[in-house]
Amino acid sequence: MKVALAQISPHLGDLRKNLELHLDTIAKVRRRKAQLVIFPELSLTGYTLMDLVPGTALDPARHPVFRKLVAASRAIDIVLGFVEERGKGLFYNSAAYLSRGRIIHVHRKAFLPTGGMFEEAKFFAAGKDFRTFATPFGKAGLMVCRDFLSYGAGYLLFSGGADVIIVISAAPGRGLTADAAFATGRMWELMGETVSFFSTAFVLYCNRAGFEDGKAFAGGSFIFGPSGRRLVKAPEAEEDLLVADLRLEDIRAARRKWTFMRDDRPEVILRSLKRIVGNDED
Amino acid sequence: MKISARFVEKVLCSFIREELHKFGFGKGIIGLSGGLDSSVCAALAARALGGKNVLGMILPYKNTFGEDVKDARALARKLGLRTRLLDISPMVDAYFSRFPTADRVRIGNKMARERMSILYDHSVLEKALILGTSNKTELLIGYGTIHGDMACAINPLGDLYKSQVRALGAYLRLPARILKKMPTAGLWPGQTDEDEIGLSYSELDAILFELVDERRPVKEVIASGFKREAVEKIERMIIGSEFKRKMPPIAKISSRTVGHDFLYSYDRNR
Repeated sequence: MKVALAQISPHLGDLRKNLELHLDTIAKVRRRKAQLVIFPELSLTGYTLMDLVPGTALDPARHPVFRKLVAASRAIDIVLGFVEERGKGLFYNSAAYLSRGRIIHVHRKAFLPTGGMFEEAKFFAAGKDFRTFATPFGKAGLMVCRDFLSYGAGYLLFSGGADVIIVISAAPGRGLTADAAFATGRMWELMGETVSFFSTAFVLYCNRAGFEDGKAFAGGSFIFGPSGRRLVKAPEAEEDLLVADLRLEDIRAARRKWTFMRDDRPEVILRSLKRIVGNDED
Repeated sequence: MKISARFVEKVLCSFIREELHKFGFGKGIIGLSGGLDSSVCAALAARALGGKNVLGMILPYKNTFGEDVKDARALARKLGLRTRLLDISPMVDAYFSRFPTADRVRIGNKMARERMSILYDHSVLEKALILGTSNKTELLIGYGTIHGDMACAINPLGDLYKSQVRALGAYLRLPARILKKMPTAGLWPGQTDEDEIGLSYSELDAILFELVDERRPVKEVIASGFKREAVEKIERMIIGSEFKRKMPPIAKISSRTVGHDFLYSYDRNR
């Protein structure tokens, strides 16, 4: 399976320009024989939207820009990020999986970072579900940026039987060290290594590049194999187009060796969670 | 506090290039004082945009800082920048002939704002954006003239402490004279920042790093071995200069107000 991570820098608030950027990138990675291309979080709109959220939101089933991308997915599977409007006036930071001319799955970001430099919950409604879905490459699950830093969310996709966990991200780099990278890069890779190893699944992490209001998006997209080995990594803090060949048979090999998936006890987790959630007082 | 100068250079050069291009500019303009900060900023800009696309404005008051002017010109030659030299004394003196004073801070502030006014006019004249040179240390303690040297279109250095700017300057191979210079606001001859603030930059940066980056309370920072007077003084300077880091408050009386709930990015639709 050939997969492309498009570490792009979208135009803030400009759907048309970003549609062009997506279509150009799709043409490029198709020439390199990629079968799946992954774009970062809010790839269709840019990240620091604030009051631009309502104006850039769309209904993926109807919007002409989205329909062009759905059409493009006849030739290549596509994961992208966009502002989704549901009903009237509910806005989500969403990720969609498009395949064979159809929208196969939409995931709505459930963990909205709000604090410090982040203020997503001021502008977005929170998603409520993590579920896996069938793709031509096996069972997949989607997460958006901060979702991935919840090990509960990672567990849900594992428990749902994910073979491929796809994370789209708009993570700004933070913290300087003596190394030629932002300190926060380590945090994402740590989770990538952990989730891929203990889920015996591929983890595909696509982060964006570029600047918005001085924030430097850290790039550093990566893929971990189902035995917890990092297979590829894109450069830090610059645009890149990374194409990698994945051996899907590695999933079976990992599960022969490590029986985490077979040994999972979701009913125990659920019973304990119900008890914890039931105790609403500290 | 350690940095990878190579990585910081890469990020800041992309920042300068991308931010200017988003707004349709290919050229930058910098007030060159001959000191460390403006020299580092100029070196980054030259790498990001090409020396020809950076205009270094050398704006002395008479010949008070002759050596600094020489250093600024030598640096500009080394980096291949265009330069323009203009003595600001006629404008500054004209004003103070009407309102005479011996207050060195007032005179210094006026000079900083005169330079700002010239930079902004040249920004239009040259179709170039102003690159700011205030570092993180200065921004946090408020050691700069509001609407003077703090004014700019973008600031590549604002998240680097003075000692980190120095490390970056060494990596960028700035002349030793500039790297070794005692930092000064240049408000009057012989002034140095460290004398005026009463702390060395290494002390100042180390304490600021604990208070700001590590978010440690004053008590803890003192308990970890820093001098009480120094930590308390720095905390007072941070609090006292908040107004220099903010847009002025607007009285909110309508349902949607600039600065309150009219929320857009600087980079919107760019």
